[in-house]
Parts: sequence; C-alpha cells; structure tokens
Amino acid sequence: MDVIIKTTNLIRTFEEGRVRAVNGVNLNVQKGEFIAIMGSSGSGKSTLLNLIGTLDKPTSGEVIVDNINLSTLKNLDEFRAKKIGFVFQLHNLLPVLTTCGNVEIPMFELGFSNKERTRRAENLLQEVGLGKRLDFMPTKLSGGERQRVAIARALANNPKIILADEPTGNLDSKSGDEIVHLFQELNKQGRTIVMVTHDEEIASHANTIYHMRDGKILRSN
Amino acid sequence: MSGMTSGMEGTLKAGKADFSVVQKGVSDLSFSKISENRTGEIETLKDVRKATGVLLGYFSVGNNPFFLVWGVEEEDLTTVGIDIVNGSSFSQEDELIIGEAASKELNKKVGDKLILSDKEFNITGVFETSVFLQDKGVALSLKKLQEIQKQEGYVMMIYVELEEGANIAEVCQQIEEKYPDLITIKSASELGKVDKGLELMDAATWAVSFLAIIIGGIGVTNTMMMSVLERTREIGVLRAIGWKRRRILSIILGESILLCLFGILFGALGGMLGANLLTLHPALGGLLEPIYTWEVFLRALITALLVGLVGGLYPTYRATKLSPIEALKYE
Repeated sequence: MDVIIKTTNLIRTFEEGRVRAVNGVNLNVQKGEFIAIMGSSGSGKSTLLNLIGTLDKPTSGEVIVDNINLSTLKNLDEFRAKKIGFVFQLHNLLPVLTTCGNVEIPMFELGFSNKERTRRAENLLQEVGLGKRLDFMPTKLSGGERQRVAIARALANNPKIILADEPTGNLDSKSGDEIVHLFQELNKQGRTIVMVTHDEEIASHANTIYHMRDGKILRSN
Repeated sequence: MSGMTSGMEGTLKAGKADFSVVQKGVSDLSFSKISENRTGEIETLKDVRKATGVLLGYFSVGNNPFFLVWGVEEEDLTTVGIDIVNGSSFSQEDELIIGEAASKELNKKVGDKLILSDKEFNITGVFETSVFLQDKGVALSLKKLQEIQKQEGYVMMIYVELEEGANIAEVCQQIEEKYPDLITIKSASELGKVDKGLELMDAATWAVSFLAIIIGGIGVTNTMMMSVLERTREIGVLRAIGWKRRRILSIILGESILLCLFGILFGALGGMLGANLLTLHPALGGLLEPIYTWEVFLRALITALLVGLVGGLYPTYRATKLSPIEALKYE
C-alpha cells in the first residue's frame, strides 16, 4: 500500500525551544488507513495533527502528504482546501448560515457554481444522515447533528484525508459512537482518516492506534 | 449651506438686476449703509439702464423674530423681482404688500392689517418672487421703512440693471474705482465680500463635517474591530478549511463599506428630515430653505465609501494576519 502521510524526525518546539510539543515523530500512514492517536492533554497529538494539516509549521523535520513535501509548498490555503478535511472538537459551524450554507463554505475556493455548491452540499448532508435538516440553523441541531454537519463540511471538496481533532470530545457516548461509525463508513469509501482522541472506546474503531507522550510516539497496536 | 447661499444670492441679485452694490468692509450685509444719492449717480453711468436703492429690515412678527421687510419705491417693484399676484401695490405710507408665503403663514390677506414696529399697515396686495426668503416677508415704501429704521436718506444696497450687451465686469470695475467705499456683487461666490457671517458659517459647516467624518471613521473601525474579534474563531475555521486571506479581506472590507452605505442612506434621510423640521421652527423657517442637489449626495456617498475603506483597513489587516491555529484557540 502507498504511504499517504509520512513524517520524518518531526519536531515542533514552543517558548524558544523549552517546550518540545512534537519531539522527533516518525509516522507513516497508509492510503485508506484509519488511525487513532491517543494521549493525555499536552502529549503533542493535536500539534502533530496541525503540522500534518499545514495549520502549523515544524521547527525541523519534514512532512510529506500525498507525495507533496509540505516544506516546499507555497500555497498552503489551496492545499488545505483540496487535500484535507478538518473536523474539530467544537463543530465550529458559522451560526448565521444554515447547515447547507455551512457545508458549502469550503467549495467557494474551488470555484463551483451556486447550483453545483448547493447540490453537492445537499448530497453530503444526506450522506451523513441529515437530509431532512438542510435548512436548519446550527442552533436548532443537537451536538451530534452539528458534528455531522462539520463532517459533511470536511468532505465538501472530496479530500483524500480527514484530520479529526477530538471529534467526539463534546458528545455523549451514543452520539460519539454514531460519529465514529460515520468515520468508518468514510474510511470504507477509501478515505484516509487521522483521528486524535483520548477515548479508548472511540479509538478502538480505528485500524491502528498510536500513543503519544511528551511529544513522542510510543507504540502502536 | 447651499440653501442658505442660494437665498442670499437671490436677495443680492433680485429681479432684473445684473449685480448689486453694497458698502465695502461691512461684516454683514445688514450693516451696509449707502447714501441714497448714490443711486442716482450710478444710474447716470455708461451702460447702466437702472439703479434701484432698497432698504431691508428684520422685524419680529408673530412667532418669527426675523421677519423680512423690504423698503422699495413703488415703481421699482418689478425691477427687484416683486410681482403682485393679488390686489394692488401700496400707494400710501401706511400700506404694504405681503409675500405669498408670509400671507399663508400669518393667515393675512388683502384688506387685513399688519402691525410692524407698533405701526399699523393695511395690506393692499400679495406678491410673489422667485426667492423663498423674500416671499416670507413684506414690502412697503422706502420712505416709510427709512423713517421706521431712522435711516432717512440711506439705502442698504443698490440693484443695478445694465443695457443689453453691456460688459458687467467693466461696469463693476468702473463703480468700484469711482466709489472706493462701495463694492459690487455679481455672484454667490462673491458673497464673502460682504457677508463674513456666511463665510464663517461655511467654515463651521466644514469643521463639523470634518469632525463627523473622523468620528464616523473611528466608529466604523471600532465596529469592525469588534466584529473581527467576535468572529476570530470563525475566521480561524475559514482559514483552516482553505479560505485565502484575500477572500477574508474582501468580506471584512465589503462589510465595512456596506456599513457606511447603510449609514449614508439613514444619514441622508435623517438629514433631510432634520433640515425640513428646522424650517418648521418659526425663527429659522424664514431664513432656511433646504436645497438637495445630487452633488451633495454624491459627495456624501464618496465620503462614506472612503470612510468605510479607511476605517475598515486596520480590522481587515488584523483579520487576515490571524494564524488559523491561534484563531481556533480563541475563546
């Protein structure tokens, strides 16, 4: 299988080098794999995710995503828009837009027509089981439903990779299970999923589980 | 302001007059005092068809403390642009004619009486001019007004009507050279020569406008800054899902400009309403006539767009400089 994410001796320090949030991580993620990264708060798992997703830049080391070395990449916005779908712990939906409007947001950068945007957003919302909630405002949805809208938004530009940072952290266990099953569905469709969590039950749905402590990956099982 | 200037211009260039002559060096038109003999002298000058001396006075009538009274010879009424539309002209010293607007306002018609400075006058006619300021007043015999104002032998200004094809500038120059104590007024732009009050008011209007622009600019910056701060997280999300800085920039700046456009819409409507309300005030109604020209609105529109653009610059800069990761952490 092809490697889609590869980090080599990846280091990210803060406070002038005193804090090593990511400390020499070598990680290979295969195309179509669903991995979970576990660890306590401050172990560096979210920082690692941000480095893979180009939201942050490494102090040293390199990240190669879909055969692109991120350190040589000029247009990070375009890379994020096309290759990566982000799901955050908080759904981070725009409260002034409907569910459909929220899912359409990432499509603006790829120049879809209004009609095409709406059609795609409606299909995606149906895919995540919210076909009957197209015109709802985010405040009218439950926590699990909001997170599903956020997942539909992450899928908007049909990215190969989904990066999810504690996607079930704010949900009850039932909603959390639904979300992780949704990730499994997406994984079956061929998408690579990197999920950060500290919930073992949630992590157990992944193909591979990595543990992080003090910025290092300890083991996988 | 243009309404005020226009009213003044109407007074200075009434009827058939090509220009008017007033005393030089006075700070306000109402202080101008010219010997009546000058009227005859100016009339003998080359190219001058007619010179008409008039006296203006303000009296307290009804609720209006600035009720305009014209003192003019009866035969000169048409020269100064007064057309009688009802009744007849005054022939006795205790008679006067009333402007159409004043007649409606005071509810006085031909045959009624009007008291000016404790003297009773019979209204013999109603007149109309093209100047709003004059329509809100009355006209009576020059002699009588001179007597009331204790200005016997003096007029306030002289209207000069020239022969056809005469060169206005040349005649004006001739008058100013011959009478160094007099000055000629040909257009509104020269109003400042005699009316420092109008110039001062113009300067004050500009100062107030300038202040309003600065306050407006600060208001826009503040509003947009708050908006950017409130939506820091949203901006972070937008950046994380791949929106370019340029798109964020256009949204924030667009919003800032839109804010100013709404401001101009409500400001213009409010301003028009306010100006019209001011004219309802008895003391100001006689002096003010709001004039709305498309230039005024265009100027306001351009100013609003500039204020929106400049006021929105800093918040936009802040929004586009946000790192997505910091913005996402923002509570």
